[in-house]
Amino acid sequence: MAPSIPAKRQLPSKESTLFKELLTLYETKQLKKGLKAADQILKKFPEHGETLCMKGLLLTHMGKRGEGIETVKKGIRLDITSHIVWHVFGLIQKAEKNYEEALKSYTQALRCDKDNTNILRDAANLQTQLRLYDALVETRHTLLRLRPALRQNWIGLAVAYHLNGQLSDAKQVLEAYEKTLKNVPDYDVEHSEVLLYHVRVLEDLNEFAEALTLLDSNAKSRIIVDRRAIMETRARLLSKLRETEEAEHAWRALIEMNPDCTAYYSGYLSNKDISLESLTDESRPQALHILRDFSSQIPRASAPRRLALTVASGEEFNDLVKDYLSIRISKGIPSLFADVKALYKDPVKRDIVEKTMEELREQLSSLASEPTSYLWTLYFLAQHYSYLGKQSRALSLLDEAIAHTPTLPELYTCKGRVLKRSGDYLGAARSVEDARLLDGQDRFLNTKSAKYLLRAGLVEEASQVLGLFTKKDAQSPGADLEEMQSLLYLIEDGNAHNRNGNLGMALKRYTAIQKVFNDYEDDQFDFHSYSIRKFTILIYLNMIHWEDRLHSFPAYPEAALAASQIYVRLHDDPDLVASLTAPAALTDAEKKAKNKAKKAAHKQEDPKKAANALSNEDKGLEPEPAKDDDPDGTKLLQATDKLEKAAAWLAPLTRLDKDNIHVWIAVYDVSVRRNKWLQAIRALNHARSLDSEHPELHLRLVDLRKRDPSSACAPAIEPAVTAALQELIPDEVSLETYNSQYLQKHSTSPRAILSCARALHRLEAPMEEVENQLFTLFNADVDLDVKTLLAALTFLKEIKSSRAEMFGTSCDSRFELSTAFKSQAELATLRHDNTTESEANQPEETLG
Amino acid sequence: MNIRLATVDDAIGMQACNLQNLPENYTMRYYLYHLLTWPSLSYVAEEGGRIVGYILAKMEEDVGPEDEPHGHVTSISVLRSYRRLGLAKKLMVQSQEAMATIYRASYVSLHVRKSNRAALGLYKDSLGFKAEDVEKKYYADGEDAYAMRLSLK
Repeated sequence: MAPSIPAKRQLPSKESTLFKELLTLYETKQLKKGLKAADQILKKFPEHGETLCMKGLLLTHMGKRGEGIETVKKGIRLDITSHIVWHVFGLIQKAEKNYEEALKSYTQALRCDKDNTNILRDAANLQTQLRLYDALVETRHTLLRLRPALRQNWIGLAVAYHLNGQLSDAKQVLEAYEKTLKNVPDYDVEHSEVLLYHVRVLEDLNEFAEALTLLDSNAKSRIIVDRRAIMETRARLLSKLRETEEAEHAWRALIEMNPDCTAYYSGYLSNKDISLESLTDESRPQALHILRDFSSQIPRASAPRRLALTVASGEEFNDLVKDYLSIRISKGIPSLFADVKALYKDPVKRDIVEKTMEELREQLSSLASEPTSYLWTLYFLAQHYSYLGKQSRALSLLDEAIAHTPTLPELYTCKGRVLKRSGDYLGAARSVEDARLLDGQDRFLNTKSAKYLLRAGLVEEASQVLGLFTKKDAQSPGADLEEMQSLLYLIEDGNAHNRNGNLGMALKRYTAIQKVFNDYEDDQFDFHSYSIRKFTILIYLNMIHWEDRLHSFPAYPEAALAASQIYVRLHDDPDLVASLTAPAALTDAEKKAKNKAKKAAHKQEDPKKAANALSNEDKGLEPEPAKDDDPDGTKLLQATDKLEKAAAWLAPLTRLDKDNIHVWIAVYDVSVRRNKWLQAIRALNHARSLDSEHPELHLRLVDLRKRDPSSACAPAIEPAVTAALQELIPDEVSLETYNSQYLQKHSTSPRAILSCARALHRLEAPMEEVENQLFTLFNADVDLDVKTLLAALTFLKEIKSSRAEMFGTSCDSRFELSTAFKSQAELATLRHDNTTESEANQPEETLG
Repeated sequence: MNIRLATVDDAIGMQACNLQNLPENYTMRYYLYHLLTWPSLSYVAEEGGRIVGYILAKMEEDVGPEDEPHGHVTSISVLRSYRRLGLAKKLMVQSQEAMATIYRASYVSLHVRKSNRAALGLYKDSLGFKAEDVEKKYYADGEDAYAMRLSLK
């Protein structure tokens, strides 16, 4: 029995027909006509909620977002029990990517019309996006009950069960589904995918025999058509069933099909109970024997030869590596060092490689007939020594190589890396720029040069180089790279700004990274329905899993930690915000950049103004991308919710990157400033479980006690806080003693010395004491590095030490090659030399 | 070096590799669209967890009544530092095998900038493609493209 329609929704037959027409016009995206129809109804029935909502929806599509949404809201108020009004509202919220609210609207809509399949399907997509799998199962169940003839409804339910961890329910659905099918055509890729999925469900349920039977029968009858998938699955299942002989054939067939896939060799070996990860004296020669056989049977394959190097030891390694290296040197393979350096984990192997290559160099140096082999040998050895920290040796080899062949870009990129490792960021950038100029058509060299320029802090120059390849009509090279989601550019440019002290721009780039990840997250939405229609379930499940771990991919943690550190600094030092945003603080170059950005932002606004008149063009439901109203990051600097922003950055990492101690240190820094004491203590406990002696942790422990949390926290949690504190850092000794005890334990670690100096400052020790502490970094027994020294120098400047300059001079003489400790004036001279020299060397640019 | 089927976990690495090498770039959606529609056609070359080369491939969707089903290479590239290993060829071979067996593709097509001599050489000499046609102003900046083909029969 249909519920009676409320009087206010009822329309006379003429308008009722018109309303149906309106719905069709919307479906077919005839926006203008639709709007006319809506207005016609509203003329007589201005309070008709459903029509108002449809009108609002049309207006939104036509680019009148504000008015559209107002109209929709009015419509809802007038007819709150209509499924149409809620559906419309849900559509708009979904387009705004406000998935939670959209789902609420759809739930309302379903309350009014519980069997509406359109609404149910949309709700299922939202439930998947929000990972509400219990609810998803229910929705998919309803859909299947309503439309069992639709194949995708079966698959939708199976997938819902799968996501909800109910594998055996998924299996039952698939079995029932396959029974409903009649006459599957040959070479039906979709059905093939479904069956492969079904086999995987059985495998995951540990029903290997059933899985194999299903696979074999359908592979034989050519219903499953993906040969690689059949072979891989078969090999895996046979191994799991301990059908070792047949499994061996299956793995061998895979190796013959793709002899460069390392997983197939692992599969073959592990089927013989040989694990490449944990070789024994017994299994090592067996593995080597097998790999040698494959090497001779499949001469074109390099994987078994390379794997043999990992496996072999002693004399055997010596013989194998000699052949391996000399063949590749004569072929001139640039990646040879990158390929073998993983072997260096074993110092014996490392030394054998060095000896072999030095011998080769000696041989070749007297052979005039093989000049390129000699060149690649020098190139290899330069990388080798640089990797081992012997930068001067590497440099002299490269200089020899460059004198030998001045036109090989690889030599200059390699030299750049060696100089970078020596701390000479400017020289490094200059060298990689030389490489770029040798082949201006190559974007790889272009990207590399820009990256090195950014490492040297030359933001403008980098932008110019990048601009040789980015779209000419883009607002700026950076804007194109941001639109194309170049995480490399965003992180390097952000870091360069951060090092240059331009924290606003740094935050702006990091925030752009956050947006890229948000977009990646939104990207999955359409696939919730698409993949089920296309029946590509296995890869869809792979995508869901990927999305769930998305924020652990490298660029995100790096940006998150850097951004949260900046927010904490800005929170601690409001003067910093003021000085960064004061117009006088800008250098000329920054002013220029700022003006340029403003102009560009202005340019972006203009064309929009003309397009005010309503046209039939569908502008979609999604809001226009927000205009860039913060070209230099000032608004980010001035945000009043800095700590909340920092906490939001870190939140995904506490789940996905929890073995990274820096995550917990950052969480502590933010929590403690938000007076979230228990959270802060938990963070330090976590950090301690990862590395109880870590210098950053030491500093935080001192900081925590110094803050006296027991009296600062709410009385209700005081006992818990006091107990936890006592556990973390006992109060038997004074903090000063605690600090010096830590230093005694780690007196040769530069990071520990820096950390103790910071702790001294935190404990309000006299400036001189802090300074003296830092100067012990130059003691002979300290294993000093450029990065720590740079951090120490920055810290001295931060605390306004009068000896900062002196410290800088000491750093400079300690690391002669490095440009990191040069004064601004010295840098300016070096930069000047930089341009003149490369202009003199390279008068021609290949890219016009 | 490891040559294997691309999964969604490789998408960020493929995107990074593409941005580093080629002037034609795509947002993540486009990678996901390829991987989730034709999950068996894209491959990657991986070293030490880093994607150093990839082939992003699909089946042509708009096939005219006279045309046969065929594959299309949307993008293929190998980092400069990993050249001379024959990676492009290895990636291509795996992909075209899948096109032929799963989708019964009779040939595979691709586009290349007229000015890109290095790529042209790779497709012609190493991979056996033949230029069939010139497509005027195929690229956003107005450059022409060669439409190339490789028969799979």
